[in-house]
Amino acid sequence: MIYNPFPMRVVSKRQEAPGVNTLKLEFVREEDHEFFRQNFKTGMFGLYGIYGEGESTFCVASPETRKEYIECTFRQSGRVTGTLANVDAGDIVTFRGPYGNRFPIEEFEGKNLLFIAGGIALPPTRSVIWSCLDQREKYREVTIVYGARTVADLVYKNELDDWKKRDDVRLVLTVDPGGETPDWQDHVGFVPTILEQAAPSPDNTIAVLCGPPIMIKFTLAALQRLGFSPENVYTTLENRMKCGVGKCGRCNVGSVYICKEGPVFTAAEVQAMPQADL
Amino acid sequence: MGIQEQYRSEAASLLSSGEVKLVIGFGAGSTADRRRPLFARTGEEANRFVLDASCIANLSTYLLTEGLLSDGKKVGIFLKPDGIRSINILIAEAQLKPDQVVILGYAIENGQLTALEGRSVADFNGVNEKIRSLALPPAVQQDIERLEAMSPVERFQFWQDQFSKCIKCYACRQACPMCYCRRCIVDVNQPQWVNTSSHTLGNFEWNIVRAFHLAGRCAACGACDRACPVNIPLRLINARMGREVREAFDYFAGESTDQKPVLASFSKDDPETFIL
Amino acid sequence: MTRILLKNKLDDCIVTWRNAGYSVLAPVKRNEMGSFSEVQKASDMSLDLILPERTIKDRFFPQTEPMIRYKISKQQIDTETMTPPDTKSVCFGVRPCDAAGLEIDDPLFGWDYKDQYWFKRRNNSVIVTITCTASDDFCMCTSVKLSPESTKGSDVMLRPLSNGNGWQVETITERGKALFDSVSVHLSDEKAETAALAQVPVRFNVEQVMEWLANPTSFESQFWKDIALRCIGCGSCTFLCPTCHCFDIQDEGDTYNGIRRKNWDSCSFANFTMHTSGHNPRNTQSTRWRQRIMHKFNYYRGKFGVNSCSGCGRCTRQCPVDMGITETLQAISNLPR
Repeated sequence: MIYNPFPMRVVSKRQEAPGVNTLKLEFVREEDHEFFRQNFKTGMFGLYGIYGEGESTFCVASPETRKEYIECTFRQSGRVTGTLANVDAGDIVTFRGPYGNRFPIEEFEGKNLLFIAGGIALPPTRSVIWSCLDQREKYREVTIVYGARTVADLVYKNELDDWKKRDDVRLVLTVDPGGETPDWQDHVGFVPTILEQAAPSPDNTIAVLCGPPIMIKFTLAALQRLGFSPENVYTTLENRMKCGVGKCGRCNVGSVYICKEGPVFTAAEVQAMPQADL
Repeated sequence: MGIQEQYRSEAASLLSSGEVKLVIGFGAGSTADRRRPLFARTGEEANRFVLDASCIANLSTYLLTEGLLSDGKKVGIFLKPDGIRSINILIAEAQLKPDQVVILGYAIENGQLTALEGRSVADFNGVNEKIRSLALPPAVQQDIERLEAMSPVERFQFWQDQFSKCIKCYACRQACPMCYCRRCIVDVNQPQWVNTSSHTLGNFEWNIVRAFHLAGRCAACGACDRACPVNIPLRLINARMGREVREAFDYFAGESTDQKPVLASFSKDDPETFIL
Repeated sequence: MTRILLKNKLDDCIVTWRNAGYSVLAPVKRNEMGSFSEVQKASDMSLDLILPERTIKDRFFPQTEPMIRYKISKQQIDTETMTPPDTKSVCFGVRPCDAAGLEIDDPLFGWDYKDQYWFKRRNNSVIVTITCTASDDFCMCTSVKLSPESTKGSDVMLRPLSNGNGWQVETITERGKALFDSVSVHLSDEKAETAALAQVPVRFNVEQVMEWLANPTSFESQFWKDIALRCIGCGSCTFLCPTCHCFDIQDEGDTYNGIRRKNWDSCSFANFTMHTSGHNPRNTQSTRWRQRIMHKFNYYRGKFGVNSCSGCGRCTRQCPVDMGITETLQAISNLPR
């Protein structure tokens, strides 16, 4: 039945930031794993659940180049995420998916990549970042601009360190004014401002932008000022979902079903949607 | 001049003088015997008001539309005595400021309309005095007596049959002026107090929770009953709850605007018969 | 020569069908509400209703559908998939609008991922429709290009005889033909006159409506705010609609045992699209009513080539504040252009 999820075993749980956790999940049944291996592409999402509480929608944060596990990162906010945040290694949770479309990373080959993320929106970006970094030779310059409200709110701190050390990645880190700690070495300022200062070239460059709506709005404007055309900027949209498969009727923005036609869109596609429905 | 013309011109002058920003009344409906809520913002629009014996809905539910009264301006509204009673309850529960409401009052008796004197909430003490003696419509009264005559098993079967029809569309809640909670308990999921499913148990839970929440608060306007698309006689259960409260506390909801909500206040004289 | 089913033979048909393993569903008025319920005999049926309050859709997409039973213990979680029963059913006395509603919903439940709950019941059912000889002020099938005799979604069409004694039988699909071949001994072959069809006036120009809705500037028109002022935000129109299909998925039970269910949900409800963060893309009643109309007469057509409305008129008929699709679409037809 299409609403039946896969049982998943929790391998580990890592706290990323206050109220934000990453779960590493392994498949209990081999046939489910095989299905995932065959179907998962970066950008897709899933419904993560726990029996007795329900299901909640978020992205697959692990890349398509690493399909042994599913990693997901989420903020503890509602009934389901509140319970998921309290699981331990060995517990059984559920996963339904992968659903939706993907970042067309084959089309990005031979291009420069600019990743921009804000706060808890690094997880979807991280999936595509690693999907590309794991095939580093296919892409040209890679720039990652990541900002959070405070230093504590930065997620994947270990990976940020890794990216910082790599000489084939340019990492631009920032926190909002007031969110810095005394020993903070990186930028202080909002993502759009820092992005414009970093001034990545739009030539032969694809930008992937994920973040809260207000950040997306101002960052898109900054990208346009930098000369990026909306067709070369990719982003993801999120809406409340229950089915994930185009039937429950709530995730559409205008005529676009986020669960089926998204969650990955170009900025040009997003601009064509009725803005009042976002 | 008939009452309809009188009230059209009163509504028009309230609007054109700027005393109110909006008048909520009735307009023609989709069929000859239907009336629908009509919102007039100009004197011209007020000419479309209809007022006749088919205007039985309790419009006071619209006064709590989110944001409607937040600018502090006044709103005019067509109300029957049950609507005035609803407003009294809302004021007593601090949901409404009396000076924001201008009432165009009317009563329907034996199919005849009469205008009620007064415009401000304070003008309707005459109506308030009658609330104790307000009788339910004879058909409702008969149904209540029929229910009372049943054995508990029969009565349970009656409500089981009725509630099994419920589809949880929440039309009863949405039509009710007293159901103003911004977040209804059925929409709360931490914890999940009430099953959202519309099976007989979930339907019982919903309808009984609502009946309890309306005990001592119901204006007996029948809006829930009329709104129910599957014809559950909801007013019967609310009438019974009202009677329990009257008998226990000698309390008639909506008799005045300075009543203390009976189940939200304590008096040392309260009967304690329910304590086992 | 056409086959005739006489009313006094209907009981024989019901017996034959029941003996063949079918459950027979028909409109039944009980406790002041008409709905499709299982019947044992013809006299249980309320075939004179213009329309029962509840649609036949309820029998394919019930208001609450148990999907997975779960049992949580310290060591493991046991689950059991719950599926609709294997029972075949004859849906007798469906109106053309309700039958059309089923076919309108098929592509939605079938695109990409097939909803087995819907299709198992669809495949196990035969829809026996009766054409309409009466209508009321709310019927609007002709406005959405259907009619009191449209066969969309029907396996068999019965046309009432003018003498009131029975129906002329017209089989539409193989499934319908097989069902009535199984009762051929109870049918008569004779020439009989059928009763006049209901005259349902066209209440709005659906082409004009679709054109206006498709215009990007219409989305933020003041029209939506004005028309939706009196909407109280209940789900009555959506839950009584033969094509509305939105649902919620909920776990229900105690800490260790429970059932995951698919429950009806409504785009009229404020919670429907509310994010956990508190952001709500459709945070007012006018945006929700716009979604309902746009979905039915623009988005759905774009995806599946058909409007998601079969013209039954229940949305207006049962609306507590006398709103509905008819009024809205009439108002759109009348907008200055």
